[in-house]
Amino acid sequence: MRFADLFFTAIEALFAHKLRTFLSLLGVIIGVFAVTALISLGEIATYGIRRGLEQVAGRSVFIQGRFVPGKGPVRFSEADRRLLAALPARVIPYVFASALGHDARGKPVEVQVLGVPGDLPALDPGTELAEGRFFTRSEGKRGLPLAVLSQKAASELKARTGERVDLAFGPRRTRFFVVGVTKPLGGLFAGLNQPQAYVPYRWLWQHVPGLRRGRYHALELKVRPGVEVKLVAERAKALLAQRYGKDRIRVQSVESFTRALSQITLMLQALLGGIGALSLLVGGIGIMNIMLVSVAERTREIGLRKALGATAAAIRTQFLLEATLLTLTGGVLGVVLAAIVLYLVVAAVPFFEVFILSPKTVLLALGVSALVGIFFGVWPADQAARLDPIEALRYE
Amino acid sequence: MAVVELEGVKKVYRSGSGRRTVEVEALKGIALAVEEGEFVAIMGPSGSGKSTLLHILGLLDRPSAGSYRLAGQDVTALDEAEAARVRNRTIGFVFQAFFLLPRATALKNVELPLAYRGVPPRLRREQARTALAAVGLEDRLDHLPSELSGGQKQRVAIARALVQEPAILLADEPTGNLDSESGQEVMALFERLNAEGKTVILVTHEPEIAAHARRVIRMRDGEVVADEVR
Repeated sequence: MRFADLFFTAIEALFAHKLRTFLSLLGVIIGVFAVTALISLGEIATYGIRRGLEQVAGRSVFIQGRFVPGKGPVRFSEADRRLLAALPARVIPYVFASALGHDARGKPVEVQVLGVPGDLPALDPGTELAEGRFFTRSEGKRGLPLAVLSQKAASELKARTGERVDLAFGPRRTRFFVVGVTKPLGGLFAGLNQPQAYVPYRWLWQHVPGLRRGRYHALELKVRPGVEVKLVAERAKALLAQRYGKDRIRVQSVESFTRALSQITLMLQALLGGIGALSLLVGGIGIMNIMLVSVAERTREIGLRKALGATAAAIRTQFLLEATLLTLTGGVLGVVLAAIVLYLVVAAVPFFEVFILSPKTVLLALGVSALVGIFFGVWPADQAARLDPIEALRYE
Repeated sequence: MAVVELEGVKKVYRSGSGRRTVEVEALKGIALAVEEGEFVAIMGPSGSGKSTLLHILGLLDRPSAGSYRLAGQDVTALDEAEAARVRNRTIGFVFQAFFLLPRATALKNVELPLAYRGVPPRLRREQARTALAAVGLEDRLDHLPSELSGGQKQRVAIARALVQEPAILLADEPTGNLDSESGQEVMALFERLNAEGKTVILVTHEPEIAAHARRVIRMRDGEVVADEVR
């Protein structure tokens, strides 16, 4: 029999019992829906987390010293800064300090103070201002007591742009002029928002005891577009390792975070997909059941077909095709259902930012549903193929 | 020329297992030759082995011993697929209960054996239409079996056998499910087909049906007890 004839025979058989076909499809639809939706949700969540990470850290490489017993802390120098300037990245040096401020009721607030060169938004597009401006590079060079507060610092210290704020480094208290307030981190990373103040590092060098002029706590590399962040991180590590030794330098990039994240989400996806696959298994057993019923019901038809010249192989193919068509249809409907539900979820839940239904997931879902049909259709099809035509024709 | 040649055909059924195995000889060595163009009726009470003989003739069953030549070919020990092929090309079945596919039109039912032969759709529609016209049902092509009378159903089944252009037509109690008028119609059709040169072998227990045949073979307890040509 020609394949097209077998195909239409299978379709006709499925259409003969529409309600039954649909009900047996439900199991597969739900299974494929679960697999597709869960895998895609994993992808969507990963994308959200990754984008959040990039907002926070962008295309950055962070270089800090690592404490090694018996050796002093690593403090980067102007020479280090020049060394790294050869890389395709912008170097932002940081000096860290901690200060105490007071809120409206006089309660102390600990503020993380970041000494930077000035005009940070130009160096790091990740820094955005909610109001005011950043102090300029020349203001920075002059070491003026200007501050840009984080949203959290501004709200806790009750200080706004154009106002003054007192910060104490040890016993001495200095009055800073607030020139701007940065935008807080959104979404997933809102928890990382802390009271912070950006001030010129030259001011810190001049006024905070224990800080050495010309020494930095950390260096941030803003990698130029089109250059691989990983590559720059490796080069930077190699350069600095020559001076300080490999184990005294810690080089981190978003890539290293996202790599770890990818592994976690891959495991999560496998787990979720596995749960979905379990429901697909149940659907497959339903298909096998309905196919066995169908074979029993159509015993006489099978006997007749054999008498008219159908080979066992033709009968087997017909029933296998029926089962596979059934599950594949379920697969398509399941994917469509998943697409609709995902679309609605993405529209309704702000945490999920983009709608992702990758071709890989769709192909996987359809492939698995076809395999379920073949796997659970083989036995019923074999039962049909092996029917003795005499018994089958006598069957009432 | 003989279309059917059976020599020493035996059929033994075994039931039970081990020591309790019971062997039943349904056919005890049948020798039978049917010439092209004959109209043969096989008669006998139930249990006489006539149905078993029909199944062997139709390649639905294999003899336990003996040989079977059909249309010049030794078909005694064909494998499953070869037997299916021979059934498809040289044997036309007509059953007591018609066995039409309930959801297929008369035309589709008649096309079925040609579909298994791999005949392209257009050609087989043409041939099926011709076969239905030959049984006088050219105006019932698109009717479902449920929309046809018993006699019409059996004529569709005969058309389905004719479309194969088989070497033999095998009919198993073809009038058993019909009223006498429809039965007469169907038998008249068989007579006409035989007059046109078709070889017809039918199994029946009704003498008035057997009366349409020119040769009657009587069976009892797995043996041919009489073989008369009128």
